[in-house]
Parts: sequence; C-alpha cells; structure tokens
Amino acid sequence: MDRKEFLHATGLLATGGAWHRHPTFSKPHAEQQYTIPPYLAPGAVIGITSPAGYITQEEMQPAMQVLQSWGYQLKIGATINKRDFTFGGTDAERLNDLQQLLDDADVNAILCARGGYGLVRIVDGLDWTLFKKHPKWVVGFSDVSVLHQHIHAQCGVATIHSKMTNSFPDDWSRAEPIQVQTISSIHDALAGKRMHYTVPPNGCNKPGLAEGVLIGGNLKTMESLAGTASDINTDGKLLFVEDTGEYLYSIDRMFWNLVRSGKLKNLAGLIVGGFNLKPDDEGEAFGKTLTDIVLEKIKAYHYPVVFDFPVGHQRANFALKCGVRHQLRVTNATAHLTEIT
Amino acid sequence: MITLPPYLKRGDAIGLVAPAGFMPVDKMQTCIATLEDWGYTVVLGATAQSSSENYFSGTDSERQNDLQQLLNDEHLKAILCVRGGYGTSRIIDALDFKTFRSHPKWIVGFSDITVLHSHLLSNYKIASLHAPMAAAFNNGGFNNRYVQSLKAALEGAPADYESGPHEGNRTGKASGQLVGGNLALLAHLVGTPSDANTKNKILFLEDVGEYLYNIDRMLLQLARNGKLKKLAGLIVGGFTDLKDTQRPYGQTVYDIIREHVKAYDYPVCFNFPVSHEAENYALKVGVPYKLVVRDNGVELKEKRSREA
Repeated sequence: MDRKEFLHATGLLATGGAWHRHPTFSKPHAEQQYTIPPYLAPGAVIGITSPAGYITQEEMQPAMQVLQSWGYQLKIGATINKRDFTFGGTDAERLNDLQQLLDDADVNAILCARGGYGLVRIVDGLDWTLFKKHPKWVVGFSDVSVLHQHIHAQCGVATIHSKMTNSFPDDWSRAEPIQVQTISSIHDALAGKRMHYTVPPNGCNKPGLAEGVLIGGNLKTMESLAGTASDINTDGKLLFVEDTGEYLYSIDRMFWNLVRSGKLKNLAGLIVGGFNLKPDDEGEAFGKTLTDIVLEKIKAYHYPVVFDFPVGHQRANFALKCGVRHQLRVTNATAHLTEIT
Repeated sequence: MITLPPYLKRGDAIGLVAPAGFMPVDKMQTCIATLEDWGYTVVLGATAQSSSENYFSGTDSERQNDLQQLLNDEHLKAILCVRGGYGTSRIIDALDFKTFRSHPKWIVGFSDITVLHSHLLSNYKIASLHAPMAAAFNNGGFNNRYVQSLKAALEGAPADYESGPHEGNRTGKASGQLVGGNLALLAHLVGTPSDANTKNKILFLEDVGEYLYNIDRMLLQLARNGKLKKLAGLIVGGFTDLKDTQRPYGQTVYDIIREHVKAYDYPVCFNFPVSHEAENYALKVGVPYKLVVRDNGVELKEKRSREA
C-alpha cells in the first residue's frame, strides 16, 4: 500500500485542516520545569566513562582529539580499557566510575563512550544527590537512553542525546560533511547554542505546530523502562524515538506498549528518527511499513508528526537536548525543530 | 476470588482461533482429530481456516471479530488458540469481555497468548490454560504427556507434575496462584492495562530465541517493577534457542536468573517442562498450586478448590 492510499484508508485525510489547530491543544498537567546544567566554556572538563559496553582508549583517540580541539579538557574514567565480557568493567566498576564523574565538582559534562547494554544494571545503584545540586550535562544515546529517561523522570535535569566517542571519524580533516555536522552539533549543544534543525519533507508527515519539552531515545529501551523508576511521563512533550536491528513486528509491539501505557495520547508532537529495520523472515511478511505502524497508533490525535528525523543509529544523528523546550513546526514543504530559549 | 470456567464433558464444543500469526489449516488437522477423539466437537473460527498471505491470520478486525464471536458463543466451552506468533496485543483493547465474564470458558494457548492470560487474570480474575497449541499435536505429539496434560486439564483432573533436579534450583515449598508465561510478552505488558500482579504468586517464565543480554534486561524490568520481590516461588521453564552477542555475554541464562532472585529466599526451579519445545505441561493461570523444590526433584501440584 502506498502512503497516500494508507492515509485515505485510515481516514486521516478526512480530518483535513484540523491538524493545524494544534496550539490550542489542552495541557493536561502543569508544565514541569527542567534544570538546564551550565553550558561549557573553553577549558571546561568532560569526563568520559563507559557505563555499558567496553571500549579502549585507543579507539577513542579520534574523539579525544576533536574534543580537545574544541578547548575542553578530558578526564578519562576508570572504565575505559576495562572489560568484563561485553561490559566496560563489572557492574560495581561501571557504577563507581559513573558515580565519581557525577559527583566530581570539576567535571562539567559526562560523555558516555559508547552504548551496548548495561546501564539498566547499574541505574538503581546511582546516587543523584550531588548531581541534583550541581547538575552537569550527560551525553550519549542508545543504551544511554536509560540515563536520559531516568534523569528526566527522577532529577528533572536536561541531557544531550547524541553520538558518542565511537562515532567520531578517524580523520577529522577528511571527514564527510554529515560527520562534521553531526559531531559539531555536540559542540553546539555543549556550548549552549540554540539548536535548530530542518528536515526534508516526507509524504507521511502530519503538519502542525507544537511546543513542548523534548524527550525520547531508543524505543526498545523505552519499552523496557515501562513501569520502572526510570519511566517517563510524556504528557505535553515532544517525543522522539529511534531504533536499530528490530523486526517490524517487534517495533509494532513496542509502539503498542507506548499506546497502552498512555505515552502517545497527550503528546505535543512526535518525532520519528531512523529505524534500521531487520528484514522480515522468509514467508513472514509483516505487511505494514514503519510509517503505517506509527500512523495507525496516533490516528485519533491531531499533533504534528515528522518522519525520517536525523536521529538514530546512523550517520545522520544530530545532538538533541532532552528536557529542553522546543518548537516543532511541520508543513507540507518542510519540518523544523527549534530550541526555545 | 478467581473464577474457574466450567470443565469440559464429552460432547462439549471447542472453538479454534488464530488471534495472532497465520497457520495453514492442514497443520491443525491432527489437533482437530485429537480433540474429536477426546470426545469434543470442534468449531473452526474464520481465522483458523484463513487463506491469509501475510504474517497475520487476518486483518486486525478479522482477528478481533473472530475471537470476539468465539468469546461470546455460549455453546463453546473452550477456545484453543492454534498458534502464537505476534498480534494479540494489536486487538486486546478492542475485545469486549462482557458476555465472556458471565459465561467464562477456558482460553488455551501460550507464547503470544500470554497477553490473553495476563489480561484475563489482571482485569477479570478468570483462570485460563497456558498449554500446547495445534502444532504440538503433530508428528505424534498428540500422544505425549504434555498434550495429554491439556486433555486432563480440560477435563478438570488436578495437575500433579514432576520435574528433575537442577543444580541451580533453590529448595523450598511455596503455595500460590500461578501467573506467568512468555517473558518477552510479560515485559511488554508492564505498565499496560494487561499487566498482572505477581505478589504472593508462583511465577513461571519461558522464552525462545532471545539474546542473553535481552533476557537480563527483561528480568530487570520485572525486578524494577517490583514483580520479583514478593513471589511465593519461581518456575523457570525452557529458555531455548538462545542467542549471544559477538562479544560473549559471559553468563548463562541460569546465572542471569539466579542473580535477579538472589536477594530473596523463595523456592526456584529450572528447566521445568513449560517451553516452546515439546516439554510444555498445561498450567492453569490464576489457579492455586503447591510447588515443592527438593534436592532430588520438583513437584508442582494443583490445589483442590477446598484447599484454595
């Protein structure tokens, strides 16, 4: 089924201009204020830790050079070069390293070296007392979605969803434009620049104008946090989701979890990033595209939706400030996501 | 108080339905013949004679309508889901259990059907049967003790199962309602209206084809949701066809599970015959059982209603 047919089939086109009325959408809850950690000036210190999968300092060299070229000092956490099977050290080692950087008053931001799996094993052991008093930027994506959501839910502090040390180009001088742009967006976010992204049109987008606090991350991680202390309230917010290597049926099931746990009904807007799909098994064609899967879940709602937003396990993965208010403007011609300061 | 649907007598009717994935009708012939041999008449729902060419046995509304019709049909005493796959989550909130609640019947199946078991228990306190489905009858399976345990369960014979010792077992005795099913589905249901309470219950888990790290993550979700701390006991069934990451996870599935329950002292048993393989005893979700884990073996016995 092509996209237009689907829109007709689900009756989405019939509601016509209603999509543009979004700014009057009622807010079910008083809006929570999120603390914005101090932005980084040259000379600021970035701590690097590996709270999930393991990585060597050698693999991080390209990232370290670029971060230093931006004028930042680096503090390499004890988990770098550590390895416990798939993890960057034992649970206790990863917990202690992250805790130390969270508590270290000289550290202005914490960059997670890479994702993988492991944060949910240590998140309940972390003590946020000092972090809440002296918030700092926590940076990463994928498995680090656990931290974005936990900090959003439990600390009310903004974080940066972005590429990590393992995504920096080996040779910055030869990097392709998309690599330079995405890596530079981390610098922009850390330095306090107002973020603004323009996205090419997608025939499945739902036009509209919305404002709200941005939050989101990896869809599978979000589902696995449902019903836990790290679960987020999405009411009145701009939610972004991305994932990689999942079957369509599995993505469908995860979106049903969002529906059935009430995460899609009171959104300000929805931002769908990249999904590197795992192909259906032979003879098991799922019969719905990713856009079908998303649109059918939200057909009752009138908020704007943008597809193919450059966030995810892909080269086009730009920095996004979670916990910070943004405006999402989707028209038939284009889509803009702009930080509101 | 849990509602037990009436047990079946010879001549009673069983409806067959495919609420999730597609199954060709020729693959359920042995199941149909066996059910008839057990003395039941078999009614095929539209989705159990589907000519669907995609993943599902029909569109959402076809699957929903078919199951709804069987749920409402007062002549049926049981509904056997012919297979799982994926798809029950897509229709569960559209189903109307009003008629079913006043005329409950046994819902039979496992895997994706965990959604129905959990939903019925958490919303309506109606017992259901976690048990083999149509494919289990094939290749001589209709004769094995696991398919036969479904026959006994439908007839109302109280279950009395034994399972061998396992070095990971934690000995002890427990009494409580059974709750559980497929781990991935139980994790997927957390935070939704189908989520089941596990407090003071005997939880059973099984899964197939999952990565070890993902099993750890799903168990952590249950743990962080408070589902593991107040259990009466834990029954770990088959975790089959497991996958590992390129960098080995470093723990076996037994290590992973034991780690998440090490803070508690309830009995735990491994390799209980509930799984995606042939070893899959019929278990009545919502019904009280007694679990005894000894060094030399495991016993799971259904409690008679007087004791319950």
